[in-house]
Amino acid sequence: MSKPDTRFRSVKDLPSSHLLGTGTPMCAGCGGLQALHEIYDILGGKTVFINAAGCMTLLSVYPFTPFRGSWLYTAMASAPAGAQGVRDALDILLERERIGTDEDLQVVVLTGDGAAYGMGLSSTSAAIDGGLDFLYIVYDNEGYGNTGQQYSPATPHAALTSTSRGVSGFAGYKKDLFAIWCAHRPAYAATVIGAEPLDLARKVEKAMSIKGPRLLLALAPCPTGWDFDPQETAEIGKLAVKTGVWPLKEYVDGQITHTKLPMRRVPVERYLEKQGRFRHLFRPERREDLLREIQDRVDAYWENP
Amino acid sequence: MTRQLITGNGAAAWGARLARADYVPAFPITPQTEIIETLAAWIERAEMPGRLVTLESEHSMLTAAGAAAATGVRVFTATSSQGLLYAMEMLYTVAGWRAPFVLVNVSRGLATPLTLEPDHNDVLAARDCGFLQIHCATCQEVLDNLLIAYRLAEDQRVRLPVIVNLDGFYLSFTREPVDLPEPEEVDAFLPPFEARDIAFRASMPESQAVAVLGGSPYSYFRYESHLAALNGLGVYETAGAAFGEHFGRAYAPLDCYRCEDAEICYLMIGSFATKARVAVDSLRAAGQAVGLVRPRLLRPFPGEPLRKALLGKRGVAVIDQNLSFGMGGVLHAELASALYGQPQAPVLTSFVAGLGGRDIAPEELFEIARIAREAADNGVAPPPRLLYTEDELRELRTLQTLARVERNELGEA
Amino acid sequence: MYRIRFHGRGGQGMKTASRILGTACFLAGFEVQDAPRYGAERRGAPIFAYVRAGQAPIRERGIIRRPDLVVVADPTLVPIPAAGVLVGLDTHSLLLINSRETPQIWKGRLNCAGPVICFHPHSETRERSELPFVGTASAAAAARLLGFVELSHLEQAVQQELAGLDDPIVDKNLAIARRAHEQMAALEGRVREGEEASAHAYQIPDWIELPFEEARVSAPVIHAGLTSEAVPTGLWRTLRPVIDYDRCNRCWWVCSAFCPDGAIRVADGLPVIDYEHCKGCLVCMAQCPPHAIAALPEEEAAP
Repeated sequence: MSKPDTRFRSVKDLPSSHLLGTGTPMCAGCGGLQALHEIYDILGGKTVFINAAGCMTLLSVYPFTPFRGSWLYTAMASAPAGAQGVRDALDILLERERIGTDEDLQVVVLTGDGAAYGMGLSSTSAAIDGGLDFLYIVYDNEGYGNTGQQYSPATPHAALTSTSRGVSGFAGYKKDLFAIWCAHRPAYAATVIGAEPLDLARKVEKAMSIKGPRLLLALAPCPTGWDFDPQETAEIGKLAVKTGVWPLKEYVDGQITHTKLPMRRVPVERYLEKQGRFRHLFRPERREDLLREIQDRVDAYWENP
Repeated sequence: MTRQLITGNGAAAWGARLARADYVPAFPITPQTEIIETLAAWIERAEMPGRLVTLESEHSMLTAAGAAAATGVRVFTATSSQGLLYAMEMLYTVAGWRAPFVLVNVSRGLATPLTLEPDHNDVLAARDCGFLQIHCATCQEVLDNLLIAYRLAEDQRVRLPVIVNLDGFYLSFTREPVDLPEPEEVDAFLPPFEARDIAFRASMPESQAVAVLGGSPYSYFRYESHLAALNGLGVYETAGAAFGEHFGRAYAPLDCYRCEDAEICYLMIGSFATKARVAVDSLRAAGQAVGLVRPRLLRPFPGEPLRKALLGKRGVAVIDQNLSFGMGGVLHAELASALYGQPQAPVLTSFVAGLGGRDIAPEELFEIARIAREAADNGVAPPPRLLYTEDELRELRTLQTLARVERNELGEA
Repeated sequence: MYRIRFHGRGGQGMKTASRILGTACFLAGFEVQDAPRYGAERRGAPIFAYVRAGQAPIRERGIIRRPDLVVVADPTLVPIPAAGVLVGLDTHSLLLINSRETPQIWKGRLNCAGPVICFHPHSETRERSELPFVGTASAAAAARLLGFVELSHLEQAVQQELAGLDDPIVDKNLAIARRAHEQMAALEGRVREGEEASAHAYQIPDWIELPFEEARVSAPVIHAGLTSEAVPTGLWRTLRPVIDYDRCNRCWWVCSAFCPDGAIRVADGLPVIDYEHCKGCLVCMAQCPPHAIAALPEEEAAP
């Protein structure tokens, strides 16, 4: 779908030079890093990233940082509160003309799903509710990755994690963070994935054109946590979209629009079978019950997207 | 300058206003609420330029405070007890950001059991985190030390946040006469905040508070915060003396009352120490050489001034309005470490009193002095005493009966 | 130093009373310390307020153990031990009670050592919204009894402390203050400063070594239900709801359903008010469909 009011009409319009520095200790094949650098290439260096505890905390380990702009590590539960403090302080400095507008920065929160879906909900809710002008990027690898992939509120049903190793995997269901954000009526919210860079670029562009609380929720295929060969990151990302497991959508002005509607959805199995965290659904024998359940849930979503 | 009856909370609010605090992240908790309500009203009526934002928890509040200070504005915030503890992770975190600001703690006893009345367990729980600590005994001290605290925090030899503590109820809700300086007078004492390199600007990328892996580099950063905290003693002395030159009220790390020729000294912090002042006068009138040493600065710990004040004294009665379970009074332990092995060290006696605002009666203060003298005479200190009377236990037993605590388990005949 | 203790209930303006008196003393050139003291901030619950006034800066803190003047704005507090009205009264302490009874009756009733004075601020106060005026009257009476507070100081204090209120209310408070001040004219200066605690001879505190007690005893746990019923919250009442059973139409017991405290039970189809616990909020009266409930001033109601 080509939107007339975007500068990203085709993949050729995507940035070819990368603003985010190399040399970070993220795993080879990290789906979250993939999404982050695509976002950063468009967002630019006039940013200050406020980070909560998670894998990407290690992006900046003294004395190394990949950012052209600024960064503040806070704690697991309160990155949005840190964003509040920085945004308010910049506004005060601007209002009082102690700095010029050229010194202003976009305030960006960057956290994993652990903070975004769980511990950070309190400060996130307050930030959205208070109309804070900030962008929140979530790299969602569906577990507490930095600590060894224990299950988190973002873990999907039946996934094996280091705290759900039973024959049926994780008994819970993935929390719907997008819906929680939408219930707060933010300025903007969107799901993205690094494997769909054009869709992602348009959403970053859209987000940058709006003020207020904005969400970019990126599914982050994780070779280490999901147990697959790093080269499969993009393929698994594409399958997440093609199977309908990861709907690409956005919320703006009270409306939710799907930006990619898989016409003929690929069976969920194609997505699951590539990941070691779902191997118990196939070996030693197929778990038809769980496969059926997962497929049914995806089908039910798309019946009424 | 005007002289008015102002509560401790009111004095704290005035301190923030006169210090020209730009940003007040807030979250209400008894007994602090009057501070943020006063600031909110002033800001809403445009009597004070500034921004007050209520966060959804104290943990978030301290994060926002540190982040705003790290961006480069002057920040004021306030909390108490459970809120201070909820924020505790961030107290340690933001202190290491080396971005200065002032946090007022209105002291209140900690759960369990839940209470609203004061003691010092809350603020002392923060003694290791990197914040400096100033303890006030009067409403005037609250106002004055808020201004001193900004000078202290922002000094390049320190650059650490500072807690200014006032006791709940006994100062927070109590009115006392306070001299309110004129804004111009304060400006002459406290210049605007200069953020310099610890700030966020588009023109200068700064990655703040980054992770540090490896014990050696980690140790460097931690040691440096400690050295900065130690510098706070000299900086407070200078700032407190300068305050005296500007306003006629000088502040030193210790407030020593009738100490020079004292044989026995009380050692206390906070508002209850003024009761000890009254006891000193009564005991002096009865012919006893008693004095009071009241540290205002607790972090950095004023070891050298305490040695100077107390070595050569026969006895010191340390009254702790706090209790470290399984150890005892915190001030007692810290003072002991400062005096151990020093020549002419006094005999220390330890008393725990005033928990949850429990009153300390004049007779109790007299008896404490007597015990301290007796210990000095014998050269041996009795075990620490947790102040509690027969009457109090009797009252408690009636409550226990109402709570259906089994009679035969109360150990009574 | 003069030590004054106010006793009243939440909603009666005791904090304002302490502030008015404190400010008045401050304007009269004294060093002052004043503070309210609440348990829970609830309408009707007992609260204290303290004022200390002296020539030298005040170092004393906390509860006033040996008051020179005790002002009781609500006499129903006297029998409640937790209200502590009589604590520390000795022969020199003056007891000022808001009451239309005589001092002799109170002295006999309380068997107190020192003088008792009665005052009645606003004789026909029925409206609960007017109860805060009791605080103003109490402060004004106390000011006259202290003797060093001029009327002008008192008026200025009233205006200062009530600055946030509408003019008609401030004016009403001023009128009440002047009236109470006038009422005490003959007793001006009657309050005597107490002596300071002496270290020459003092009562040795009866300290004990608190014994260890096992957690099932020493943890803050209540080991039964319904223990709150031992608290006679009925004493909070200034107005008593009384049911006229001739008018009661045995509806679906609106009164019982809406009573916030559950102090109305239904017995044999009729509502019965538990006066031990009824706080006199009067929701029952406001909601009763046939208007079968009336409110009587507590002092007029039959026991």
